[in-house]
Amino acid sequence: MSLGKMSQNEKDFKERLITTVKKEVKQVMEESVTRKFVHEESGSVTSLCGAVEACLSQGLRRRALGLFKTSSTTALLHKIAKHSPEAAIISKKVEELENLDPNRRSSSSSDSVTKPTLKKSASVPANPLPKYLWIRLALFEKQLAKIIDFLVSNATKYYDKDALVADAEYGTILSSLLMGPCALDYTRMKNHDHFWTDPPADELVQRHRISSGHSTPPSVRRPILNFRRSLNTSSEDSHTNRSSTQQIAKDYVETLHQNSKATLLFGKNNVLVLPVNSDLSKPIPGYLSLHQMPQGLAIKWTPNQLMNGFVDDSQDKSIFWEYALNVRLDDIVYVHCHQDSETGGTVILVGQDGVQRPPIHFPKGGHMLAFLSCIETGLLPHGRLDPPLWSQRSGKNHTKRRRPLPALTETEETSKDYVFRIIDNTCNHKDILKRNELMDTHASLPTKVRVQLGSTSTSSDSSTKSFSLDQNIPDSPPSVVVQAVCDSMKRQIISRAFYGWLAYCRHLSTVRTHLSGLVNTKIVNGVGASDGITLEKWSELCLNGVVSDYAEVYRLTYFGGITEALRHEIWPYLLGHYKFGSTLEQRNELSDETRQAYENTMSEWLAVEAIVKQRDKENQAHAIAKLSSESMSGEQVPPQIHEELCNEVFEDDSITDNEGDSLEEKETSAKRPKHTKQNTIKYVDDEEDSGGEQQAEEREKQANEENDGKNVQNEGALKNTENDLTTDKEDLEVAKEDSYINVNEELKDFIHNVIVINASVDICSLSNDNPRMTNLDAVTEENNSSLDTCIETHGLASPARSNCVSPASSNGGVYSQELLETFGLNLHRIEKDVQRCDRNYWYFMEKENLDKLRNVMCTYVWEHLDIGYMQGMCDLVAPLLVIFNDESLTYACFCHLMERMVENFPNGNAMDCHFANMRSLIQILDSEMYELMHAHGDYTHFYFCYRWFLLDFKRELMYPDVNATWEVIWAAQQVASSHFVLFLALALLETYRDIILSNGMDFTDIIKFFNEMAERHNVQSVLKLARELVLQLQILIENK
Amino acid sequence: MASRKKTLLKVIILGDSSVGKTSLMNQYVNRKFSNQYKATIGADFLTKELTVDDRTVTMQIWDTAGQERFQSLGVAFYRGADCCVLVFDVTAPNTFKSLDSWRDEFLIQASPREPENFPFVLLGNKVDLEPRAISAKRAQQWCQSKNNIPYFETSAKEGLNVEQAFLAIAKNALAQQNSTVDLYNEFPDQIKLTNTQKTSNNGDSCAC
Repeated sequence: MSLGKMSQNEKDFKERLITTVKKEVKQVMEESVTRKFVHEESGSVTSLCGAVEACLSQGLRRRALGLFKTSSTTALLHKIAKHSPEAAIISKKVEELENLDPNRRSSSSSDSVTKPTLKKSASVPANPLPKYLWIRLALFEKQLAKIIDFLVSNATKYYDKDALVADAEYGTILSSLLMGPCALDYTRMKNHDHFWTDPPADELVQRHRISSGHSTPPSVRRPILNFRRSLNTSSEDSHTNRSSTQQIAKDYVETLHQNSKATLLFGKNNVLVLPVNSDLSKPIPGYLSLHQMPQGLAIKWTPNQLMNGFVDDSQDKSIFWEYALNVRLDDIVYVHCHQDSETGGTVILVGQDGVQRPPIHFPKGGHMLAFLSCIETGLLPHGRLDPPLWSQRSGKNHTKRRRPLPALTETEETSKDYVFRIIDNTCNHKDILKRNELMDTHASLPTKVRVQLGSTSTSSDSSTKSFSLDQNIPDSPPSVVVQAVCDSMKRQIISRAFYGWLAYCRHLSTVRTHLSGLVNTKIVNGVGASDGITLEKWSELCLNGVVSDYAEVYRLTYFGGITEALRHEIWPYLLGHYKFGSTLEQRNELSDETRQAYENTMSEWLAVEAIVKQRDKENQAHAIAKLSSESMSGEQVPPQIHEELCNEVFEDDSITDNEGDSLEEKETSAKRPKHTKQNTIKYVDDEEDSGGEQQAEEREKQANEENDGKNVQNEGALKNTENDLTTDKEDLEVAKEDSYINVNEELKDFIHNVIVINASVDICSLSNDNPRMTNLDAVTEENNSSLDTCIETHGLASPARSNCVSPASSNGGVYSQELLETFGLNLHRIEKDVQRCDRNYWYFMEKENLDKLRNVMCTYVWEHLDIGYMQGMCDLVAPLLVIFNDESLTYACFCHLMERMVENFPNGNAMDCHFANMRSLIQILDSEMYELMHAHGDYTHFYFCYRWFLLDFKRELMYPDVNATWEVIWAAQQVASSHFVLFLALALLETYRDIILSNGMDFTDIIKFFNEMAERHNVQSVLKLARELVLQLQILIENK
Repeated sequence: MASRKKTLLKVIILGDSSVGKTSLMNQYVNRKFSNQYKATIGADFLTKELTVDDRTVTMQIWDTAGQERFQSLGVAFYRGADCCVLVFDVTAPNTFKSLDSWRDEFLIQASPREPENFPFVLLGNKVDLEPRAISAKRAQQWCQSKNNIPYFETSAKEGLNVEQAFLAIAKNALAQQNSTVDLYNEFPDQIKLTNTQKTSNNGDSCAC
């Protein structure tokens, strides 16, 4: 059916209309968010209005509109004004505007804007009322949604049945879509009382994007600025500087705004100028601005047609570039002011050559005065207006109304004209350098410029009355006062400049002091290194098994990483296990040594482990027994009994407060020798415990060792003997009580790791056991605290322990109680964590590999009992083990890795340093982020980075990424920074910077965010960014 | 009444490593048990909304590292806590013994205004495992000696008692918020404290 087809088409059309509105609404809303405000003349506002217009025009009943023909929707507005109060307001405003001045733009409805000087018919083609005037106005007045709502609910009157507005669904959508834009505040072009302020960074970015985005400029956007005209009509500079290059257009846009190069001193819209060489019969409005630039002051006037948001595609913009003014104040000698009661005043600039620039007609509202005073301020300290704008008599020029120019207040009825001369105290106004360096403090003073005023008639005005200072004031005082004022200003400005410079120097010095240590001073070039170490590269680097070019290895690794297949080969170099330049034989030898040492160490702790396990077993049994007896008897069990039962002691002090119980225990154990906790060697052996067997094996291994153990036949006898021997050393009682040495068992002394607390041994050692002493000394060098203890013991000073410790307590014969406890505790922790370590990663799904991990971990802890096991160590071993799949190599490399990492753990101080460095870094490299962190509950303590630093990001990344990151961190030490982790952390933060900032994240948010983001980062981009950040800091520090 | 401000309760879980802190938290918030958890490094937290006495509160449950050496980090995470949950493993006597040290350390680092009245809750976890080393009686005795701390025996694996325990935790935390306007000495300008004030006013008008 054709009708159905029709309706389908119309439906599509309506859908399109609505979609356009949606799009434009979104655009406006986005703009409001990103730029903090929406400009009234923004292109997106215009296109939104256009889209709304299109919706409203569709299906509009012409008949209903009656007389109005000009704009159908405007007519509609006037029509509904009778019924809708909102529409009435807008209708009235539109009428006002239309009747008032056709030159005026909707945006200039501000009260401060007075009627323009020349009121004529709307003959100026360049200056029509903006399109969609009423929709614009309604939007700015926040009435648009209501008006459309009214239209929708009264659609039958004005619209055809199938119109969009009449459609129940679309109509409602339309009005509700506009709710958002109606809630926004729209800004006008800045007027005299607030100059351009610093725009937010986002806006700068946006602006930059718009002005430089040549490729795809949306039609509604600000027109591309293709032409620039240097608009000095003076003879010396009258050539038209046409350039269509993007750069110049962009520069022009940037110079209109406040930026790093130029300060905007004054800005006023709708200032009328009749451009020279134009065919125009009357002045056209434009934006007048005064800029302080390094070269001096510049006055610019840009026709409204070139300002953003002014959309009129029908016209060729290029002509307006011809009209634009760009006058350097250096070239201007006289400023003529013409004041009349009807307008805001006219300013004519006269150049050195006497040529006049086009008159600038100010709207009413004191803008001319403001403009002049801005010029005066801008001229300081070297130049000034003569006569001064402000009264000389009052001394303090800003406190009083300026006296000589009452006419400028606009209150005067009569028209008055004044002429100011611009005096540049610097001998040569072209001497820009001098001016900038503020050098000429006194050099300029002698050039006492006499007040030179003369009447200069301007072409336009016959009633010119020249102003002469001489008429009013005696000659000399004013110039002296002016000079004094200028001097004082000069001093102030110099001192400010100095303090600014000082602050900057201090800042940079802070940067250097605190951050220079974070990066290497030498910047290494990453050219050709982005592929890292490939198999090919490695074959070049590793000649005959010798790798000598270590710098290149580091460089390639840093910039490109290592190919997976080579990691097991290169990592030991990076970690410092293999030496660069070593031969294959040397490395094999090293590996053999490493393996041998590893196995030896392992055998040592395995023996201790056996004892610990045995004790655990007993304790478990005791605990359960106690538990059951407790529940049976119902007695209240003192807590310390429990503690006594448990040999895996959390704190040592639990033992000391159980003296009473100990005796009890002793008796009990004496009665039931088989079930006591006495964990002597003999006991173990008798039990044929596996631990005992292991120990026996251990002893066989150490068969070459001298047997220092004395057979102890009788426990009591031994006690007596020892008591005699150690009368002066009570502490040794502990030792002697522990010495249940089976005389029949050949006790091997594991000299360099085992503490023999056997008194008899001690006695022997005093007399004849020198070799063992040396061994022990050697061990001491390993800085092992438990072995320090053992030295003490050896030197007949037992560990600090109560001498009343129960003889029944489970001290493993040849090991000190403390050693057993410490290692036992570590063992338990390691076991718990190894089981939990990456159990979802394929490698650790095999029990065998978990055992390897455990072995490496235990070996490390055994060798470093002072450090002990700390959570996170497993995570550091795991990737090494996966790469090497070799326990001894993993162990050796882990030891190297830990040299740096151990400081991150709780007893080290590296973590606090990291946090402090992060603070400094982020303050300098991203102060905005720092501000946010500071403002949102101040989490500049950076605790959320804890895990990152503790584990070198191991938990934040997937296994392949961990490998890639770790090798870069290791290589970075040599190439760029030994604190590369900081830059990685910074890169992670910067990667999500926008998210963090836009959501105003606080401490909890950021912890949650990064915990949730774990293993989801794009590691290559983070690494790249981190390298860039290092470079950035290197350059910052280098550039002094 | 309708526009009652949402209350945030900050709860810290403490206890030796591998007693099941992470599991308890996840069991409560996500109602699932996984044996894939790794040892917690640093701290993490989950939030859960629940209704306590007709009030909707958001509980922010902080899971911490279990090794006591990492406690020095606590000060950053403990501050502003409304309740502290102590967890031990009923099959591991040592985890019970270190409760005192956990409690003391928390009070030092969080420095609440009235340490003696600060709410703790004790959870004996892993009751699904055998053999038990710490009886309920001993745990209760300990709780009595510490100003009657509520005690729950839980199993994160089987979800046993977890819901009840955390409800009690929330109640205790809420009661604490209501009873003291300014719980912490050091940070009187925290936003949370204004909440406290509000809720305490509301609490007065309630018949509870």
